[in-house]
Amino acid sequence: MPRVCMIRQGVRGMGGFFRKSSGTNGNRGSEDRNAGTKGNVPASSLSSDHDANVEQLRQIYANCADVVFRPFLIGGVTKATVIYIEGLTSVKDLNENFLGVLMDPSAEDLSIQSLLESKVRISKVEKVKSCEDCVAALSSGYPVLLAEGQSDGMALGLSAWDKRQIEEPSAEASVRGPREGFTETIGVSVSQLRRILKTPALKIEALKIGSLSRTQVMIAYLEGIVDKTVLDEVRERLKRIRIDGILESSYLEEMIEDAPYSPFPQVKTTERPDTACSGLLEGRVVVLTEGTPFAMVVPTTLFSLLQSQEDYYQHYIVSTAIRWLRYLFVALSLLLPSLYVAVLTFHQEMVPTSLLITMAASRESVPFPALVEALLMEVTFEVLREAGVRLPKQVGAAVSIVGALVIGQAAVQAGIVSAPMVIVVAITGIASFMVPRYVVGLAIRMLRFPMMLLAGSLGLLGIMLGLILILIHLSNLRSFGVPYLSPVAPLKPGELKDVAIRAPWWAMDTRPHMSENDRLVRQPPGQRPGPHRKKQ
Amino acid sequence: MTAMLEKGKISAVQMSFLLYAIVIGTVIISVPATIGKHAKNDLWLSPIWASLFGMIAVGVSIGLHRMFPRLTLIQSLSRIFGRIPGKLLGLAYLVFYLILNGHGIRLYADFIVGTALPSTPILVLMATMIFVASVAVYGGIEGIGRSSQVIVPLYVLTFLIIVLLLLPDAKPNRLFPMLENGIVPSLKGAVTPQGWFAETLLLSFILPCLSDSKKAMKWGLAAVLAVMTTLVLANLIILLLYGNNVSRYVYPLLSATRYISYAEFFENVEAALVAIWVLGNFIKFSIIQYAVVLGTAQWLELADYRPLVWPIGFVMLLIGFWSLPNQMVLTQYSSTVFPYYSLLFQTILPLFILFVAFLRIRASRGGPTSG
Amino acid sequence: MRKHGLSLSGIALMVSILFLGGCWDRSEINDMAIVTAAAIDKLDGQSIELTLQLFIPKALGGGSGSGGGAPSGGQQLTFVRSGKGLNIADAASKLQARLPRRIFWGHCKVFILGEAFAREGVKEEMDYLFRHPQPRERAFMFVSQGQAAEMLRPVPPLERYTAEVARELSEQKIGIRVTLKEFLEMLDGEGQAAALPYLRLQPPQKGEKKNQSVPFIAGTAVFKRDKMNGLLTMRTTRGALWLRKEIQKASITVRLQGTKREFITMTPIRQRIEIKPRIHDGQWIIHVHIHTVGDLVQNGTNLDPMNPDLLHLMEQAVQRSIADRVEEALDRLQRNLNADIIGFGESFHRAYPKPWRQARERWDELFPKVQVRMDIRVNIRRPGLGSVPAAVPSDEVKEK
Repeated sequence: MPRVCMIRQGVRGMGGFFRKSSGTNGNRGSEDRNAGTKGNVPASSLSSDHDANVEQLRQIYANCADVVFRPFLIGGVTKATVIYIEGLTSVKDLNENFLGVLMDPSAEDLSIQSLLESKVRISKVEKVKSCEDCVAALSSGYPVLLAEGQSDGMALGLSAWDKRQIEEPSAEASVRGPREGFTETIGVSVSQLRRILKTPALKIEALKIGSLSRTQVMIAYLEGIVDKTVLDEVRERLKRIRIDGILESSYLEEMIEDAPYSPFPQVKTTERPDTACSGLLEGRVVVLTEGTPFAMVVPTTLFSLLQSQEDYYQHYIVSTAIRWLRYLFVALSLLLPSLYVAVLTFHQEMVPTSLLITMAASRESVPFPALVEALLMEVTFEVLREAGVRLPKQVGAAVSIVGALVIGQAAVQAGIVSAPMVIVVAITGIASFMVPRYVVGLAIRMLRFPMMLLAGSLGLLGIMLGLILILIHLSNLRSFGVPYLSPVAPLKPGELKDVAIRAPWWAMDTRPHMSENDRLVRQPPGQRPGPHRKKQ
Repeated sequence: MTAMLEKGKISAVQMSFLLYAIVIGTVIISVPATIGKHAKNDLWLSPIWASLFGMIAVGVSIGLHRMFPRLTLIQSLSRIFGRIPGKLLGLAYLVFYLILNGHGIRLYADFIVGTALPSTPILVLMATMIFVASVAVYGGIEGIGRSSQVIVPLYVLTFLIIVLLLLPDAKPNRLFPMLENGIVPSLKGAVTPQGWFAETLLLSFILPCLSDSKKAMKWGLAAVLAVMTTLVLANLIILLLYGNNVSRYVYPLLSATRYISYAEFFENVEAALVAIWVLGNFIKFSIIQYAVVLGTAQWLELADYRPLVWPIGFVMLLIGFWSLPNQMVLTQYSSTVFPYYSLLFQTILPLFILFVAFLRIRASRGGPTSG
Repeated sequence: MRKHGLSLSGIALMVSILFLGGCWDRSEINDMAIVTAAAIDKLDGQSIELTLQLFIPKALGGGSGSGGGAPSGGQQLTFVRSGKGLNIADAASKLQARLPRRIFWGHCKVFILGEAFAREGVKEEMDYLFRHPQPRERAFMFVSQGQAAEMLRPVPPLERYTAEVARELSEQKIGIRVTLKEFLEMLDGEGQAAALPYLRLQPPQKGEKKNQSVPFIAGTAVFKRDKMNGLLTMRTTRGALWLRKEIQKASITVRLQGTKREFITMTPIRQRIEIKPRIHDGQWIIHVHIHTVGDLVQNGTNLDPMNPDLLHLMEQAVQRSIADRVEEALDRLQRNLNADIIGFGESFHRAYPKPWRQARERWDELFPKVQVRMDIRVNIRRPGLGSVPAAVPSDEVKEK
């Protein structure tokens, strides 16, 4: 097997590095194993021989019906071929601004170079020197021009394809705030970031990851604010990835996590540009992936995951109250079924007497012990929830509500479960929707079941042991070097203003302190608003 | 010898929380009854006397730390006394803390079984606690430090809430007559808790991991004061509730919490107290196990302390299970044997060690050092 | 990056241990017999009879469909069972043998001691209640006339079961309110005497079924050491409550001097009571300062209370009434029963520790000799909604 292509360092024009290995790793990588399936892209450069070049490319793209080879004559004289992939190219522009110009007899005298400089009305043109550069360019939708007598090809920036319109992200809707979300086209996403942070300090570094998918991945950060160690770490980890295809940013997430066995997410994913930019302003790094609207913001802490962007758009007193409610309900969604099982099975003296009597009465006909009942109901609820996700919107809502009500009611009447249990499960379900990030909610849902088992075997002590284990895990967890429980542990009093409450904007003087950071102060202090101050 | 086995760093505040948990964890469960037996009405004064020993231990630890900034107690002993005597002394300390933790876990397990889970075998209780403590130790001191930052404030908050809830039933005139028999009863009552306060000597195992050791003295003393205040408050509230009868109760604070009742609805909240005590004790047992594990690894001059975690945990389990036949013996041990054992190892010996170290430093450097 | 070092097999091992071993303390609610009240009697001077009032969950209608709510018709919510044994613990275990569910003391709020049992000494059985982790210290204690078990059998008309009745009565603080903790405290306190509310069954009225009666608080049982040695009537109890500083919303009805049958009634709302001990020339004295404030509730005279002088007459009358009650109580307690349930011993101990230490052996002799000086002040602050006496024509109202 011929060795696959060399690394092209510093070739910015194509918009990316190649993800191929250098030196020893290549032969062990997945490339060689898959080499047969992707078609050998020989390492050869293009030659001046136009026909040979075209022939090479034809062989590479054998059996690809959507690759179009259009031979023509420049100025009626020079042999040339333009190669493009249908569907990825703006054919209209190709025709008018390129083919039209080059095929014109007046083009005969001028060299390609001068043609490009004076006649061809295309904004972005780059040289391609080798076969795999051609392939890279073609895959991104850039038509490639190969001409007789030219040892380099020209890639034209005429990519255009149908893309989804910018819509409100469905998973992160808000009452107040921008309603734009990222899209699958990375260019558009980057442009959205640029529109919000109109500063040259916003740096975008590009990578291509995935041997078969060559997905474009962009790292965005604000120079001077971002923490350099985190940035280096992000780059390092992304470069380490060897995989055949990246379909979603979650692939990247799983490959660059600190603790792969932890149920807790160590990156924050968001579809909203404003969330991403708020992360950038705090000194974090945003990773965008082609093909998915979900961007990753790293590093993240548990408390950052429990915040919703809308907290910052509502009035701060309201937001503080909602935050507290959210913390309470997150705790409830983890603990409520376990507490119910523990109290009813081990600590019955905690229940007020009249309530206990009522519960005892309602449990008379139930055949299961409290633990089994709880597990049954929780599992049923999870099933209902998961099933409801796949249903079409109209049917889904009706089925879930009606289903839950009817099933719950019927179960109680049949004496399979007791009414208090249904209430507990319902409250738990509602509580789990309070978690703003779906993934954290998932983690908590998963953890609920071991907690119930612990509660059923050791009562309140079991719950405490479970909480201790979770706490130890969280205490040891880091996201790109930042402790996961920061700023509560290690305690950073200055940052608590964004965790315990939501400080008003005039009090948010400093950025979160992730590691040593120069630009901690984000705005001048002392800006509390009031009646008009004396004019100076 | 100065190879750092522990690469993590904790802050002075976290160290302070850890110290608080170390002492308060088990002392608040049953020691007030012992104090009450000797001090009667003046039992709330005893923690004040006993805290002195805590301050001594903190002072000695910091003194040693200033002389040997990157060494724990075990390592510095060899430096001060020479290799063989240092190792022997180090072994004595390791055994001391090993037994201390074993007994502590037994106290905790007896408490839980006696009050909340009567049929559960005590082995299960001890094993689960040692299991979680070992997991924590395995993760390193940073994790324990951070967990303590979450747990200790919760602990203090719960304690204060319980005190508040008990106020309506507290009768201030039970405070009198004060100092009825002079100051001696409260001093006698201080004999038992001083052993607990002096456990702050464990600071000498943690100090090398501090990121800001300048603040160590301040936060160390703050921890001792906090423990003292907590114990005084606890004793006070028990006194105001039970008067002279404090020593009749095996677990006075728990029995007091059982008494809370509001609007016929908010009753029987002692399970919450038990739960929070489990959390506090977890920190205590983790840190002591950590100290023993780290100390043993340093004593054996190993490269990593992690392989020792589970074996030492297992030994602690055995000690807790086999060394005492019943709870009464443990209580008697705590009030008759342990105070003197602790006085020797956690107060007198450390002072002696500090003194010798000081002489050595002086001799070797020909003058007082800056530390 | 640090792993927290927990391998999958370790977790599996741990979980399986938990389940293979079984859950030892697990108890389903429906396997518990919830005790709402307990009665302790002594039979033939030897064995203890423990009677428990147990709750019936089925009576609430079960959990299917509409579940919960009040019992239908006159269906009983509780039933009563007895067991005999050498002491309470023994009786409880014999009783358990006859019950399909495990006895759960955690919600037992009422303990009733039979009078016979109380008179013979209660300290052994109190140890069980104190030592066992399940009974609550907040439970209320009572002594019953005759057999305590009889108090548990009737079905009361207002509350759901007699335990509720007893508890609510206690909460109202008409008589003495004593929890288990307070009883134990009194028993081993300095006064070496204790008091418990005394229950009596109200005989069923005409038209009511035989078992539809209700226990009520008829006085106070006084204990010397741990044996009951006497009874205080409700009148005397009132005096004792003043001395214990436990008087709440009682009402004071008094006849004005000089009139034959004209009464006024006043409800005290707030009172400040101070008991100050003093030893003067070897004589042990207690100063009782009572200052109570309240509203006028019923005026049976034709005096106009809006006149301060006339009001003062009324206040004096109330004052005398309180003094009388307290005198009565002191008389009975000091001379008759020689039981210091009013905390005189404690007061002396707190104020004069040294003399107390010398004298406490002889407290039985000293207590009757303690002089009590009273200083009572009454203020009627408001006349209620009416000013002059109602239903009395204006020309008959005495304004001076």
